[in-house]
Amino acid sequence: MQRSNAEVAEMPAAPSPETLTAELEILLARNGIKVPDMRRDAVMAAYADLRQQIALLHGRYGAAAEPSNVFRLSPTESQGGAT
Amino acid sequence: MDAQDLSIAAMGAALRSHDVTAEQLARDALARVAARDPALHAFVLVTETRALDDARHADQELRAGRDRGPMHGIPYALKDIYDTARIRTTCHSKLRIDHVPDQDSVVAAKLREAGGVLLGKLATHEFAIGGPSFDLPFPPARNPWNTEHVTGGSSSGSGTAVAARMVRMAMGSDTGGSIRGPAAWCGLVGIKPTYGRVSRRGVFPLSWTLDHCGPLTRSVEDAAISLQVLAGHDPQDAASADVPVPDFRAGLERGVGRLRIGVPRAFFATASAATPEVLEAIDRTIALLRDAGAGVEDVQLPDYALFAAAGRVIMAPESFAIHEADMQTRLMDYGEITANRFVLGAAVTAVDYINALRARRELTEAVNAALGRYDALLTASALATAPRFDAPVDSLSSTSPMQTIPFNVTGHPAMSVPVGLAPNGLPLSVQIVGRPFDEAMVFRIGRAVEQITGWEAVKLPIFAA
Repeated sequence: MQRSNAEVAEMPAAPSPETLTAELEILLARNGIKVPDMRRDAVMAAYADLRQQIALLHGRYGAAAEPSNVFRLSPTESQGGAT
Repeated sequence: MDAQDLSIAAMGAALRSHDVTAEQLARDALARVAARDPALHAFVLVTETRALDDARHADQELRAGRDRGPMHGIPYALKDIYDTARIRTTCHSKLRIDHVPDQDSVVAAKLREAGGVLLGKLATHEFAIGGPSFDLPFPPARNPWNTEHVTGGSSSGSGTAVAARMVRMAMGSDTGGSIRGPAAWCGLVGIKPTYGRVSRRGVFPLSWTLDHCGPLTRSVEDAAISLQVLAGHDPQDAASADVPVPDFRAGLERGVGRLRIGVPRAFFATASAATPEVLEAIDRTIALLRDAGAGVEDVQLPDYALFAAAGRVIMAPESFAIHEADMQTRLMDYGEITANRFVLGAAVTAVDYINALRARRELTEAVNAALGRYDALLTASALATAPRFDAPVDSLSSTSPMQTIPFNVTGHPAMSVPVGLAPNGLPLSVQIVGRPFDEAMVFRIGRAVEQITGWEAVKLPIFAA
């Protein structure tokens, strides 16, 4: 399931503080979120921690590694509403 | 003996032998809430009229020969994210402070149908994530073992209400450990059933693919009785599993002889947050299980950090998707902790989320493979005892002392069981994890653990006496 190192798309686990700040600001802005200045440090610290966890999950999987929400239809599925 | 120290089964026997009435039990519980809750803050709403109506109805039915089963006439309470028809359901939040649902959640309806007596709605960390907080419409629940300490969350009031002997059973919800965490820190039994075992319909979601409903109780038997009422297929819950519901009490007293139990020791043994008393409690429990005839050995699972990362990276965007509009327009109406956690969901990309779902598949297969060799797993619930309010921990961070989220990611049934008291007088616990839909085995091992560790003889705190 896991890819060889040659195929791995890594992401840096510990980007610079400036990069982290820029990332977070772009992502929050894209989603229309305005964090008050007095809360920015706390959110930034939590983001830095989350960002390390995100990095753990990158570069682990090749194309054949499907996510858990790939689903299976049963033949009776479309008959649910038929009476 | 105090009525609230009777097990659910013993209360039921007393009701059926007419040694006590449901109304007496309800009045006793309401008096206890009135006396203790001003200092503990377990309840955000006490439904006294409803409780007495439920109790009188239960008595009438028993007198008329209609017996609804083991929860008939038993007081209980609901975390305030469970919809209750015509009863305010706030999620402990300013955003839903006036919300009064038209219908019961499936769980509330099942407990009503089973003859339970609803005492009220319980404090929670806001939207089952943000707390403990002092900037919300209601104060945070306090730990009855020491009120300077937190209960754990998010089912904080549920932990307090049961540990303070106000009710024998309270419903919690568990997205990353919100049943098992308060159970661990309040000296209770808390089971997160298999994903799909209990309907989530009518319960305000935190993260659809991680959310589970389950009870917090004083004993494993109480938990088994409660789950018996709650379990079952709900075609209107997309995650609900159409699988048989066994008799959860049938094997409770079978012991652990010849059972095989795997211990993912690497999860907790080298964790930075692990405290010596927790590690000693786990090792003592393992030794006692071996003495009782179980084969217990270490098992290798993927790194704990992967489970924790997958859980958080799944939870963050799912919860943000639920709250996106309010986060954009009413961010300051959320408590600060809640808002700071929810905004991070905006910072998780689609690729991040999909990688977490790929990890979920890998990790679930790894746990299933381990459970192909063992009847159950035993690990830590919490790596430390309950912290003080003035030294809070972030249960979502990578250094969280809670080790519950792996089984939200994989969906396996998992239960926290108390095993003793630490030198600071606060409860210690272990976590038992079973095969999908094999809660009966989890209960069987948990029942043995509460017996062999001597937990049954541990008295609840003086405050709650």
